[in-house]
Amino acid sequence: MSSHILSWLLAIPALSALVVLLLPRPWERTVRRFSIGAMLLELVVSLRLIFADYSTAGYRFVEQVQWIESFGISYKVGIDGFSLWLVILTTALSPIALFASWGSVTTRIKEYALSFLLLELGMLGAFVALDLFLFYVFWELMLVPMYLIIGIWGGKDRVYAALKFFLYTMVGSLLMLVAILYVVSSYRELAGHYTFDLQELSSLVLPALPQYLCFAAFALAFAIKVPMFPFHTWLPDAHVQAPTGGSVILAAVLLKLGIYGFVRFAMPLFPVASQAIGPILAGLGVVGIIYGAYAAWVQRDLKKLVAYSSVSHMGFILLGLFAMNRNGISGAMLQMINHGVSTGALFLLVGVIYDRRHSRMLDDFGGLAKVMPWYTLIFVIITMSSIGLPGTNGFIGEFMILAGTFFSRTPIGFGTSWFVMTLLAATGVIFAAVYMLHAVLRMFWGKVEHEENANLTDLNLREVISLLPLVGLVFWIGLYPSFFLDKMNPAADEFVTNFTVRYYEGRRTSEPRLVDFELLKRELEAAGELALTESADEEGRP
Amino acid sequence: MQIEATQQIMLLLLVLFPLGGAIINGLLGRYLTKGLVTLVGVGSVAVSFGLAVASFIQLYGLHHEAEHATLVYHFYEWFSLKLPGGQVVPINVRFAMDSLSGIMTLVVTGVGGLIHLYSVGYMGEDEGYPRFMSFLNLFMASMLILVLGSSIPLMFVGWEGVGLCSYLLIGFWYQNREYAAAGRKAFVVNRIGDFGVLIGMLILVVVAGSFEFAEINAAAVNGQFQADFPLWILGVAPSLATVACVFLFLGCTGKSAQIPLYVWLPDAMAGPTPVSALIHAATMVTAGVYLCCRLSPLFITSDVAMSIIAVIGTLTALLAASIAVAQREMKKILAYSTVSQLGFMFAAVGVGFFAAGFFHVFTHAFFKACLFLGAGSVMHAVHAHGDADIFKLGGLKKDLPITRWTFLASCLAIAGFPLTSGFFSKDEILLGAAAQVHRSDGALMQAVGWFTLIGLTLAAVMTAFYMFRLYFLTFTGDYRSADQSGDHPYDAHPHESPPSMTVPLVVLGIGALVVGFLGLPHVVPITGTHLPSWWGHWMESSVAGRPVPEELGVVNLASGLAFAAMAVGIGAAWVLYRNKNEDALVKAVPARLYQLAFDKWRVDELYAAIIVNPIKKVATAVGHSDMTFVDALMTRLPSFNVREAGHLLARLQNGVVQMYGAVMVVGFVGVLAWFWAPHAAIEADFEGMEVALAAPEGLGYEYRWDANSDGEFETAWTSASSTSFQYEQNDVRGVAVFLRSIETGIERRIRVTEEWTPLPIESVIPVERMTPNDRGFEVRVEGSDLLFRKPFALTRATGSQEMRLPMGRVGRIGQARVFARPLVEATVEVRNAFGNTRRASRELALPLAFEEEAHQALLMSPSSGEVLR
Repeated sequence: MSSHILSWLLAIPALSALVVLLLPRPWERTVRRFSIGAMLLELVVSLRLIFADYSTAGYRFVEQVQWIESFGISYKVGIDGFSLWLVILTTALSPIALFASWGSVTTRIKEYALSFLLLELGMLGAFVALDLFLFYVFWELMLVPMYLIIGIWGGKDRVYAALKFFLYTMVGSLLMLVAILYVVSSYRELAGHYTFDLQELSSLVLPALPQYLCFAAFALAFAIKVPMFPFHTWLPDAHVQAPTGGSVILAAVLLKLGIYGFVRFAMPLFPVASQAIGPILAGLGVVGIIYGAYAAWVQRDLKKLVAYSSVSHMGFILLGLFAMNRNGISGAMLQMINHGVSTGALFLLVGVIYDRRHSRMLDDFGGLAKVMPWYTLIFVIITMSSIGLPGTNGFIGEFMILAGTFFSRTPIGFGTSWFVMTLLAATGVIFAAVYMLHAVLRMFWGKVEHEENANLTDLNLREVISLLPLVGLVFWIGLYPSFFLDKMNPAADEFVTNFTVRYYEGRRTSEPRLVDFELLKRELEAAGELALTESADEEGRP
Repeated sequence: MQIEATQQIMLLLLVLFPLGGAIINGLLGRYLTKGLVTLVGVGSVAVSFGLAVASFIQLYGLHHEAEHATLVYHFYEWFSLKLPGGQVVPINVRFAMDSLSGIMTLVVTGVGGLIHLYSVGYMGEDEGYPRFMSFLNLFMASMLILVLGSSIPLMFVGWEGVGLCSYLLIGFWYQNREYAAAGRKAFVVNRIGDFGVLIGMLILVVVAGSFEFAEINAAAVNGQFQADFPLWILGVAPSLATVACVFLFLGCTGKSAQIPLYVWLPDAMAGPTPVSALIHAATMVTAGVYLCCRLSPLFITSDVAMSIIAVIGTLTALLAASIAVAQREMKKILAYSTVSQLGFMFAAVGVGFFAAGFFHVFTHAFFKACLFLGAGSVMHAVHAHGDADIFKLGGLKKDLPITRWTFLASCLAIAGFPLTSGFFSKDEILLGAAAQVHRSDGALMQAVGWFTLIGLTLAAVMTAFYMFRLYFLTFTGDYRSADQSGDHPYDAHPHESPPSMTVPLVVLGIGALVVGFLGLPHVVPITGTHLPSWWGHWMESSVAGRPVPEELGVVNLASGLAFAAMAVGIGAAWVLYRNKNEDALVKAVPARLYQLAFDKWRVDELYAAIIVNPIKKVATAVGHSDMTFVDALMTRLPSFNVREAGHLLARLQNGVVQMYGAVMVVGFVGVLAWFWAPHAAIEADFEGMEVALAAPEGLGYEYRWDANSDGEFETAWTSASSTSFQYEQNDVRGVAVFLRSIETGIERRIRVTEEWTPLPIESVIPVERMTPNDRGFEVRVEGSDLLFRKPFALTRATGSQEMRLPMGRVGRIGQARVFARPLVEATVEVRNAFGNTRRASRELALPLAFEEEAHQALLMSPSSGEVLR
């Protein structure tokens, strides 16, 4: 089993979905229990992945089976220190989201469970795929269940939001497909055969112009998913309309696929372009940090406020990513987990109050601390995590990202510098406190002004069970992040080295060619030049 | 000599006990009895205090053996950063106690313990008592992490942790939304400061290569921070030390309530009085001063940053004192007094008297905590909630004797009455300012010295005045709520507080009187006698500082000013307020000035107008435009375009048969046009000089070939699409040079003539395989040979000649094969069924017989171009 563990991870939700499909519609309790059980089994199986050795870079648990041989398409899966935690995040958050949903979703139980299982399958597939075609299949696969979840179980304007979500994401991914095909055909011209295998395609070095075009196509797909300013406007709509479980998964996992796509595909395949465009994306990340925070501050709908806070947080992650050093990349990776945990929890908390009051308007609340003390306690803890208080997970990620930005040496134009970026991004720390504490103030402090709120019940067992693991993670990552970082750092180091080597190769080429990067890296290492790649000080920075 | 006592578990337990108390009371408090809550809350801090004392004694012992002794507990590695140079810097959870943090730990746990005890009486009846105890314990743990953290990120954990506790405790009575809003204000303003600490921290680690305070200080002593900051600010390049210190000081202005970020502290009085005493007077707000002392070797290297600190400190001392003079409520006065006293401490830091500044932290902890607790005792006595208006009090000395005497002791101390604690510490600060004037190292420094000296003296006058105004109006004269007239009078029969409240008062009051003797002046004024200063000696090992002047004149000046300020201030208050029942100051100064001071110089309103409201407006604009403007641009505009395009196309499907007919005609014409002319192209397959030529096939196509393009067709019209041809020497029309990478097989073809043409080798060889000499070959044809040479400049440098490569042989330059092929041109004419013809020509490079025999190839040295074989 252990050697096929990733395949099992894909098989469990797929088979469970099949079983759910075959269960009779009236057996609602069975459907509920079975789907949760399947997801818990999935979680347990996925935990096995943690115990592999990630102290060196490279893929683990790799499996490859030819699929469409004439086009070089294969079923190839594997994980490294980056995708490991995203897989765990997915398997951990999915049962929580589904379990929380069983408190509020009462119609079409069977279809809901089916959608969730397929969604989990799509997300996991996208995180473990090492074949571009396979990745694309999973990438599109997860759109459909999410579309259904928003469109069927959502709020008042659910159809509009679902369509917007679907079309927005679709437009980006189609261009990505074109770019994938271009890369594959360029490879074929040189190597003589088709392949969609990421590792084989990695030996292809494209000249600057095609790199820019392909990167732009990939980046559009991923930036929409992140979502990066100004492609974020689908997000508040989708979040506000989605049911609680959908929002949790959307925020906690789906958005991460954008960043993951950059790390796994766009940046390694097109290093020259990402080096040149990266600072612009990082700049847009900074804009997103501040813009998202401002927009969050003035929202009157709590769920929308949390949605905009996601825009702000994801801006941080983009920034860290394109700082192109270990701190930034590991920080971005960790911050993805953190954002999944804390924003996932925030959406759960919003769901808790919505189930009771059928309102999310800040004006309708106030003084809840008196009525719902445990709810308040958890909300404040998650708030502190979200604004990055040291001791909680948010701090580690933000600090590493800020450090990465500050230490970055990537050339950057426009008369600005990473120092200025750091300063601007760090103001996000201030604004995060402003909008989150604003929400806390309006929700919890003061007197109970609305009579409907006077007799609200505190968290029930179901809600406590869904929230406690997340609270635990907040402190675990906050107090002992090494457990997570130790597995990410080698991958991040390797990523930076590979990127640098590939970048210089790309810079030197005017026609597409194939390079054996493993050989080249060994040679450079022997020549002692690899060590220099990170310490090259072009700008006399301290 | 340095001693480090490692793995002192006491340091960890010091922190863990209050933390455990916080968790127990926070989660289970509401299910426990009050006694148990008290036991956990106060007990954990008492244990912590005991451990602090034990650790301090151990440290004290070590100090006899070495100049610099430290107790250390390394807990675990938190995470790590990788510096640009590749160095990995660990961020450790590591606690260290040296002479500086030892004193601070004693103050925090000692004063903190007393205030916990006081809270039992003060807060015991509040329904949120367990929550209160939990927050207070959490504060203690955070503060201890702040103090004992041996690296700046760990300190930052405590730094933000105390901010969180401050937020929670200011808004403790959360049902009052104003209080909660005050808590939020404190948190947000502190976050602005924390932003500075974050940035400062990053600068420190890049330069020093470590987060540990000790190593940062060592780097500062080594002068590593003297380099210019790489970004110019306003046309000047400040030093790294200046930039780092200014960012760190921004953090200090937030946490320690200095201009421009002091505005949160007066509002913070919304919290219960013990909180004001512990957090907003004795401990947390002095964290900024502590940080400056901790990094004193760094701060002292930047005159610019030090001057900024001195000026800001002095301005804050003056501003806050001037506001305190006009306030009517006990805690408000004490709050501004705290801001003002913190200004004194920073002024001391700014003139390089770190030890003196920290001494004021120490003495201030006693008298200000005592004052706040005294105010709390008064409020408890008269049942005032939130704050107490001193014009409704008066004459309380009869009913509250213990409170009165301890309050008086503390007032004397803060005013600087001779031989009280404040007298010694304030004297040292003024001495520092006077010393800076006296040293006269540069006009700027001297001006700063004068400004500090005069400003602080004025502030000291006001301090003595407003403190005794407060004292006289509260404790002397008549009790103005006795007859229950006026607005919301207080309880008519005040009573002294229970022992749990008076015991801390007495301890702190005595402390306020005597602890000053720890820091006797180095030189006694007037007599000029030298005294041993335990404080100065103790602090030496961990805190830097500028030299203490020996000159009697300087000492006399400072002490004279301090004494005069105290005497004038107390004297004025005596005349105006002793046994009086109304505010004599209102009559003495212009009404508008008084009102302005009472309104805190309207700084909050100013900030609201120039900072908060504009940002709010922007945020509102952003919030609204996001769904209108950005969404319109990114979503609705594209979707509108697609929809309109759809409408446009839908128009074509209009059911009008004529329209469809017209479209059909257009289509038919198009098809016809496609087939009207034939399509021609040439594919070639070589076999030596014999070449097979082929053209694309088509319906009814006929072909005739002119394989050598000499204008005469060799074949007649035929329906076969291919032919073959044997080329001869006179068919050749030119020569092409081929470059082929040995490694990748990438090939380039360049047409060469009799003129020198550059050879783009870099397009086929991976550049990392090239030496600089690989580039820059030129080539030309001579007869049937190719001539290669380096460009003129290189030829001259290497002295090499042209090289000759006969046609048909393969040469090699570095990692590229090079060979030539003759070029011929083939032409085909194609005719289709309509009788239309079209021609296509193609240039063909003919492979030669020898060229694949690689072992016969000529080897050319890539560097000199010599033919090797």
